[in-house]
Amino acid sequence: MKELFTSIKRAPYQTLTAFLVLFLTLFLSMILFVSLTFLHGVLGYLESRPQVTVYFQTSTPEKEIFKIRDELNNSGKVILIKYISQQEAFNIYKNINKNDPLLLEMVSADILPSSLEIYAKKPVYLPEIAEFLKKQGGVDEVQFQKDIVDRLLNLTNVLRKLSLLFFVYLLLMSTIVLTTTTLFKIALKKDEIELMRLIGASNFYIRKPFLQEGVFLGIVASLVSFIILLLIFFYLNPFLSSYLKGIPVLEIKIFDLGLKVWPINFSFLIIVFFLSSLFGCFISIISSFLATRKYLKV
Amino acid sequence: MIKFDNVTKKFLLGTVALNNVSFEITDNEFLFLVGPSGAGKTTVIKLILREILPSSGSIMIDDFDIASKNFSQTTVLRRNIGVVFQDFKILSDKNIFENIALGLKVMNSPLIEIKSKVKEALQLVGLSKQEEVFPVQLSAGELQRVAIARAVVGERKIILADEPTGNLDPKTAWEIMRVFKKLEGQRTIVIATHNTDIVNSFKKRVIALKEGKIIKDQRKGGYEI
Repeated sequence: MKELFTSIKRAPYQTLTAFLVLFLTLFLSMILFVSLTFLHGVLGYLESRPQVTVYFQTSTPEKEIFKIRDELNNSGKVILIKYISQQEAFNIYKNINKNDPLLLEMVSADILPSSLEIYAKKPVYLPEIAEFLKKQGGVDEVQFQKDIVDRLLNLTNVLRKLSLLFFVYLLLMSTIVLTTTTLFKIALKKDEIELMRLIGASNFYIRKPFLQEGVFLGIVASLVSFIILLLIFFYLNPFLSSYLKGIPVLEIKIFDLGLKVWPINFSFLIIVFFLSSLFGCFISIISSFLATRKYLKV
Repeated sequence: MIKFDNVTKKFLLGTVALNNVSFEITDNEFLFLVGPSGAGKTTVIKLILREILPSSGSIMIDDFDIASKNFSQTTVLRRNIGVVFQDFKILSDKNIFENIALGLKVMNSPLIEIKSKVKEALQLVGLSKQEEVFPVQLSAGELQRVAIARAVVGERKIILADEPTGNLDPKTAWEIMRVFKKLEGQRTIVIATHNTDIVNSFKKRVIALKEGKIIKDQRKGGYEI
């Protein structure tokens, strides 16, 4: 430990550079990881809620709507159908816009459509139910979440690919910078390394201080990034709570095991910290190996 | 046992540092390598240490041909060799104890063993009271003694010393040689030097080199310029 701190003190600027680069890499990686995890959670949540909403024209009589509802109920493909009348739609509208009197003045119940919210037993029934509804008279619009799920799926795929590219960039950048700073440190200890080689030090013995320092920096950078991420998390908690109001739990599947990511879950945060530390140590170890390699030829 | 068999070392620009050199050093032998600058003394030391490889010929240490490119035990070999370098190679940011301890640390010796053996080595070279001192506070003679302590610590079988008295005044040079004298019979000692007084008074085996060739190999020899 004493030797580790001596080495840090001996080249403080190189150590600071290595730390800042590692911190930036780990912090951005953590944010990417958490964002993707949340997106996956939302996707999973939407997939688990098969729902079709059908809006009727204002002129469609209620008995027509009830006939469609009964037909769907008898199909055996739905769990629940909820009827929202024009008056109920107006009440929802009023509740949403209670702070905006101008919007309330302009709208009355008779211009809002009545609708049916249909919860299917399986997601595969959704297109079938949507097709059925589109063929019915008096239907104005059919919305079903496959569109949203598909859009989210596309977005997640694009984000995953972009994240991967960004990850590779961060990995390369930090490895190059860390290798360079380690090379600076090696230059400072060149005589000592040369002497150690000549008196019988193994390659591992020579590498050990650089590896120790790298692992130490990796863990410290990961810890600092994690603390900042936690602070951001807690700062954004009220916003996230209201944004994800309708979603009680976000969960991702890892090898058939569900991991709760929202509301804030201790296990999830521990995993984020562990992965980040592992990533930090990996970068440091690779950089130390690359930097010391050319000095260890015997 | 160290055995050089028809060893030639040519450097990149064509300089021949050693030319078809053969000799044998038995275990615990005390030997001087003498000759003018550029004769090939340091090359012999570097070859034994496997710091460089010969262009041709073989170098056997015990049963191993260390000149072979396939030799993979360089670290083990070096752990059996203590070297006193011409330029001391004492680390300025470590105190005397730490400098000597390095010889044992690289072998992963336990701390308790390091402490006792470093103290023994310090006693051998007469620097017992200066273990906490930093190199900058020591004279050239004292630094050379630290280098010897580092070379002998850890029971290394072979001690190689490259011009150990090179930059020292006669009195200090003799003090240094007395340290080597104490080790006589316990280790194989090879001292490269061109100090005629010391070589002549020790009456030990002398291998004289000139322009990369052995010109003399005497059991109880001397050194004439």
